[in-house]
Amino acid sequence: MSVVALRLAGPMQSWGVGSRFVRRTTETAPTKSGVIGLLAAALGIRRTDPLEDLLHLRLGVRIDQPGELMRDFQTAQRPRYDRAGTVTWQSLPLSARYYLADAVFLAVVEGDRSIVEGLDAALRGPEFPLYLGRRSCPPAGPLALGVSDVSLDEALVTWPWLASTRVQKQRRDRVVQLATVRDAGPGEVATESIRDTPVSFDPNRRQYAWRSIVRATVDVTNPHGTAEPLPEHDPMSLLGGEACS
Amino acid sequence: MFLTKMQINPRRRGAQKLLSSPQAMHAAVFAGFPEARPTDDGRVLWRVDTHGSHRVLLFITSPDKPDLTHLVEQAGWPTIQTWQTAAYDGMLGSLRVGQRWQFRLTANPVRSGRCDGWNETKPLGHVTVAQQQQWLLDRAERLGFRIVPSQADPAEPDLAVIDRNVRRFGRGGTQVTISTATFEGHLEILDISAMQRSLTFGIGRAKSYGCGLLTLARPAANGMP
Repeated sequence: MSVVALRLAGPMQSWGVGSRFVRRTTETAPTKSGVIGLLAAALGIRRTDPLEDLLHLRLGVRIDQPGELMRDFQTAQRPRYDRAGTVTWQSLPLSARYYLADAVFLAVVEGDRSIVEGLDAALRGPEFPLYLGRRSCPPAGPLALGVSDVSLDEALVTWPWLASTRVQKQRRDRVVQLATVRDAGPGEVATESIRDTPVSFDPNRRQYAWRSIVRATVDVTNPHGTAEPLPEHDPMSLLGGEACS
Repeated sequence: MFLTKMQINPRRRGAQKLLSSPQAMHAAVFAGFPEARPTDDGRVLWRVDTHGSHRVLLFITSPDKPDLTHLVEQAGWPTIQTWQTAAYDGMLGSLRVGQRWQFRLTANPVRSGRCDGWNETKPLGHVTVAQQQQWLLDRAERLGFRIVPSQADPAEPDLAVIDRNVRRFGRGGTQVTISTATFEGHLEILDISAMQRSLTFGIGRAKSYGCGLLTLARPAANGMP
């Protein structure tokens, strides 16, 4: 199995799973439907086309820089032109849209070598414009980091930390712990199920299947770290501490 | 003086109320003493330390021994764990000039400032990590210690702001806002009596609200000179 690694970074990202009506939420990590959609756009697959090969890919995401949750209270209006030529502004439903600001993720997609290489090439020369979950969230910098012949789990551990230098300097520890969200392997016990596997992006009949995910953490070295992780600060250990209650 | 450690169960509703409002925690801590007035030895100071997402510890220094039964019942594990109290005087008496310690401090770094339209100055919270670190470095000598240079970069002090917060909570119908910073690092003692005073009477403002309690622990093995 081979993997293609993606760096998902931008001023804003939004990865929704269960958004309904006027509350458009975001998960804290990129979703499979979002990433598969991005790959499909890069390959030039239209929304009504079958997704075929993309459905068998495995996805793992590492939260390299969690970013901040941002809420946009949207009061959009649209113009209505009558025959007389006057314009009246019609309010759309007030909606709350949630984004992740200043976040960086490593997304790893695992599949057959030929498919993965095709994805890497497509990301470098995409057919349609690419965006991070919503049309208003363009990526900052190139997405594709290249293809390598390792497994998904290995790639999540071995890829260097992608967070910005500022964030890396803030964390003094030489080794940092990063959260991961990945597809459960065959026979593995999943920690959670979310409705996030895309079956069809057809605007008339979007379909999502359940996805079994495993949440875990990995240890990654911090190139700007200066300190070994300190043991827990325990002032009682000095005093000998006769317990009384 | 006594130092007390109690582990808090953050999953309990009582604990969530106390952790969300320093005003409520202040009342709960002070209810542990029949007489919580400051004495010549020191005053009641407390601090909440969090390690990871579930380990929450309450530290209290006080002139008298506390009884935290009510706190354990509301926010602890009453049947398996209570609290630990140890005499602090021996440790305070053993301080010597030149000793190095690892320290932890949650403080309320402020400066006095005036905005447009204000007649008088008010304390305003320091905002950035650099400001908050400078606040402590400016005071260190008066408080009886100095921050030792970092092992990795001798030009930098061995000082880190590991947590920053702006706490807002209600007090009698008005809202109190305090900005807090949690410092960790290594210090060297310069003046024993000033150091003892810093440890027993606290540092900076908002001492009733979980700020100002400085604690010492054995330095990390590689931090020794």
